[in-house]
Amino acid sequence: MHEDMPPLLNAYLDGELHGNRLRELELHLSGCETCRNDLKELRLVSARLQAAPAPQFMPAGRFASNLVINLPRRRMGEQPAQPGALAWWLVPAVILAAWFFVQTVFTLTDALTAAQMTDLLGQAARWLNGGQETIWFAAVTSLLGSQVAASQPELSLMNTLNVLGVHLLDGFLWQALIVLLYWAWLSIWWLRGRPHSMKMENAVNG
Amino acid sequence: MAIPLIVEDENGLIEQARRGDRNAFGELVSRYYPGVIRIVYRLCGDTGLAEDMAQEAFLRAWLALPSFRPQSSLRNWLYRITVNATLDVLRRRKDEPLEDEADRMYADQAAGPETSLIEKERVALLRQAMHSLPEAARSVLVLREYGSLSYQEIASVLDIPVGTVMSRLNYARNRLRELLKGDLLQLENEYA
Repeated sequence: MHEDMPPLLNAYLDGELHGNRLRELELHLSGCETCRNDLKELRLVSARLQAAPAPQFMPAGRFASNLVINLPRRRMGEQPAQPGALAWWLVPAVILAAWFFVQTVFTLTDALTAAQMTDLLGQAARWLNGGQETIWFAAVTSLLGSQVAASQPELSLMNTLNVLGVHLLDGFLWQALIVLLYWAWLSIWWLRGRPHSMKMENAVNG
Repeated sequence: MAIPLIVEDENGLIEQARRGDRNAFGELVSRYYPGVIRIVYRLCGDTGLAEDMAQEAFLRAWLALPSFRPQSSLRNWLYRITVNATLDVLRRRKDEPLEDEADRMYADQAAGPETSLIEKERVALLRQAMHSLPEAARSVLVLREYGSLSYQEIASVLDIPVGTVMSRLNYARNRLRELLKGDLLQLENEYA
């Protein structure tokens, strides 16, 4: 027990012990003369430090006046480097860049897919995806044979609409993810600034 | 109602000072100077040097004020700058002996020549004992004894865990207890 006591005695002396720890220490002190002596000596050390005389310093008002005259010019917008500050402000820029990239990729893909399906590009875009077919359309084609399937324009139209729908859904999900990330950043930014305004409000409202 | 008004007033002053208002900063300096000079003096033990170091600390604070986050404690932030500035200067002049003119003043205030000599020796002994402490332990001790900061506040000022504050404070007080043994006995007799 005694090995752990000195830091606890200091904490007791400084009024930093509360609840059970305080009661346990007081109980221990009532039965331990060594610790009572240690505590008494620690109190004397503290009293000696407090009793040490202090010189008369320049009055606060005069010190402040002298200091204000000698303050160096601070350039407007001068911000001492804060770790992570640049990274923090880069986040929305990266999110916007990601949004722009995703938007461009999906728009181009949709345009190329539509052009290829309507045969606007002819053979030029065959490399794109080797023919856009949904699983169900491929199954129907294999079951009925490509000739029969090709003779049913409704099937082909449904396949095309399905392919475009999947593309649109992909695009929507990506954009939703980016919007969520942006909202998260905005929320964190708002929360980081909030305590100050709350403190001001509390101060005004008492 | 007085305390919230002071808080509001201080937040306003900080905001003005952040925007470059020197008078607002001067007002903040007036408020915090007594605490800052007390800490600096107890860290360095030299009256003249203490005023220079306090000036250095406030100059650093002025330059760093745009990075101060208004939701944190200005006092703790200033104390952190103060401790760092003081320790920087002390490290630079590590080999120069510190002898405070104020020792003579305390001695002169004492009743007679004999008492004066004893008092002077006691003050010098305490200063030497303080300076024999490692700066990490001394900083914690000074913030506790002369800054009246809680352990949590000291941890925040020095950016160390509360457990480290407790162990450094324990080391510092026990070391002083050994170094000032005779002086403490005398103090005990005075109190008895």
